Amino acid sequence: MTDTADLEALRSEVRSFLQAEAPTGWRDASRTQDDFVRTQRDWFGKLVRAGYAIPHWPAEYPGGGRSLAEQKVIYEELAGADCPRLLLSFVSTYHAFATLHECGNAEQKARYLPKILEGETWCQGFSEPGAGSDLAAIKTRAERKGDVYVINGQKVWSTMAQFADKCLLLARTSSDGVKQAGITYLLMDMKAPGVTVRPIHQIQGDEEFAEIFLDNVEIPVSERVGEEGKGWAVAQATLASERGLTLMELSYRMRGALGRVAKLIREHGHEDDRGVLRDFGTLVTQVDAVCAIADQFLDNRINGIERMGDASIVKNAYSRALRAYSALGLRLGGMDEQYMAPITFGDLNTGNWMADFMNSYAWTIAGGSEEVQRNIIAERMLDMPREPKGWVL
Amino acid sequence: MIELNELTDAAQKAFPAEKLSPSRDESWQLAAKMGWLMVRLPEEDGGLGFTREASTALHLEMGRVLSAMPLIPAQLGLQAIAASESFAERADWLERMAGGDYAPLPMLSARLTEGSDGSVSGTISGVFEADMAVAVVAQLPSGYALVPLDAPGVSLMERAIWDPSRRLFDVVLDGYAPRLMLTDAAGAKALHDRLSGEAQLALAADCIGAAGAALDMTIEYMKVRRQFDRPIALFQALKHRAADMKTRIVVAEALLWKRARDEQASVTELAAAKVLAAEAFRFVTEEMVQLHGGIGLTDEHPCHLFLKRALLNLQLCGNADLWNERVGRQALG
Repeated sequence: MTDTADLEALRSEVRSFLQAEAPTGWRDASRTQDDFVRTQRDWFGKLVRAGYAIPHWPAEYPGGGRSLAEQKVIYEELAGADCPRLLLSFVSTYHAFATLHECGNAEQKARYLPKILEGETWCQGFSEPGAGSDLAAIKTRAERKGDVYVINGQKVWSTMAQFADKCLLLARTSSDGVKQAGITYLLMDMKAPGVTVRPIHQIQGDEEFAEIFLDNVEIPVSERVGEEGKGWAVAQATLASERGLTLMELSYRMRGALGRVAKLIREHGHEDDRGVLRDFGTLVTQVDAVCAIADQFLDNRINGIERMGDASIVKNAYSRALRAYSALGLRLGGMDEQYMAPITFGDLNTGNWMADFMNSYAWTIAGGSEEVQRNIIAERMLDMPREPKGWVL
Repeated sequence: MIELNELTDAAQKAFPAEKLSPSRDESWQLAAKMGWLMVRLPEEDGGLGFTREASTALHLEMGRVLSAMPLIPAQLGLQAIAASESFAERADWLERMAGGDYAPLPMLSARLTEGSDGSVSGTISGVFEADMAVAVVAQLPSGYALVPLDAPGVSLMERAIWDPSRRLFDVVLDGYAPRLMLTDAAGAKALHDRLSGEAQLALAADCIGAAGAALDMTIEYMKVRRQFDRPIALFQALKHRAADMKTRIVVAEALLWKRARDEQASVTELAAAKVLAAEAFRFVTEEMVQLHGGIGLTDEHPCHLFLKRALLNLQLCGNADLWNERVGRQALG
């Protein structure tokens, strides 16, 4: 429990730090992947030193031991200061941390967690060409040979794998029984022989994701998390690691970025166009409501009254608002937006409306597609029947 | 918070979900007995002194059962009288209203002109359940006034509406001489803004409550209605529509509570919450009719009650076009 006075003290402490240290002009300095990565590493280092990078870690780590209420304050301030979002280190500080903290052994924790604070980055080797929404259908094989597993297969949609040092890998050690059984969770060195990474060039010009090809990659058995064949349960810990802060932060950033639409309306002389004002007003209310639901979701978590499916509602509400935001910008920008303009890496509300619009699809597709979220809402919140299993074509 | 839950529980007990649009007059007596007519009135005036959240919770529950009683216009009328320090008969009227006398605020604008002798003529629209009213709180050219319905120059005209859960009237003034002034012309603006914001929140709550009930009813139907040897709730194409209905309601409700708790929220911000809630209600009821299929088109099934209430709510206290434009203009700075 943290009382209001403590939270406000933390807020002003974070705000003073951000006023002094938050990078300015980082959008212009993130026009190439290399510059983006450098900006990310610098900012992460600063936040680690200031004690704001890993508020959700336990107190034995510097900057850790913060309550969810405190984390919320930190993220509200980060969003308000319009500083870069921590993208490169996200999988490391959330997914890798949660996996190792909850399911890793003492030796694994001691070896990997401190290195994350020194800048070691992790990626996630979960999705495959044939296993997206249906993640348990993975086919990448791990064959036990003495003290190592030999890995063969292919991973895809691995966020920033091209810059990663380590990988959280799901591989199949057995094909017997239900598909969730027989999955094993491994920690892979991205520099191991047989690992090939190919960045995926996306439609908006970014390379946020990569494919990972695995050709007889050897992983020591000591790098297994949990028991052999019990990796599915470990993967749930990985996926549950993010506790709603990201969507709250993104919602507040989108609200801050409504000024970009307002600017467009003025530049194009639409200030008295009632149709445009209505559409803008509709968007403003939609974004305000997304902030309200993201806030409510976190408050419910803080108070321990979260319900099954709440997270799905927040995600679908955010991703649809992001689409509407970028679509309105694109419409108002008109033909201007069809001429190529520089893109900014690592930001969803850049004002390059074509790029922002295309980027918005990442949020209706990644992290559990909009359709999967609808299934969760219907089946787990509204208690509608699930489709029968074992359907065969 | 406990206070709020207790109020909600009491409302759900008094007005169970399975009984839609319960008798207006019985509901009214029950509401008066439970103190709901005075829920927002300060304790020193004999009210319960509850917060804006409390009345929002009540209006939400009354929306859920498509309440036929005019609790929203009644509370707004009461607030107008309570806010008037200059009104000589204030205490008398507050007492009468606690006892069940009904003096509503209209939910649509009036078209009135003032004669050279100060008398007023024209039409006050949007007066709910005026047949049970003793007076109406109206914004006259010279300020807010209480207009007794039995006064000379005042007549009632019922306007038949599609929504069967409520009745709507015009109050027609023909050379009416105002007597019971609540504000002067200068004071009218401040009172108008205050009442307008309250009205928006109350309507938003009505929409959210009713939309929730419409969704519950639709889900129940989808679970029992079988086609192609399975409940239609099994079809993913339909499940996804139900999920979107739920999402619209939950998101609009989050904004409603955020603004209800925000004492600084402007009229436009409160109206934005109403527009979002009313649009969610409309969306949910349109889907409700479609997902019920043919039965949804029959008069005997309650689908149409929800649809018609949603479409009327959209028009009350300013429609979506008007408020979306204002929200846009305000955000433009």
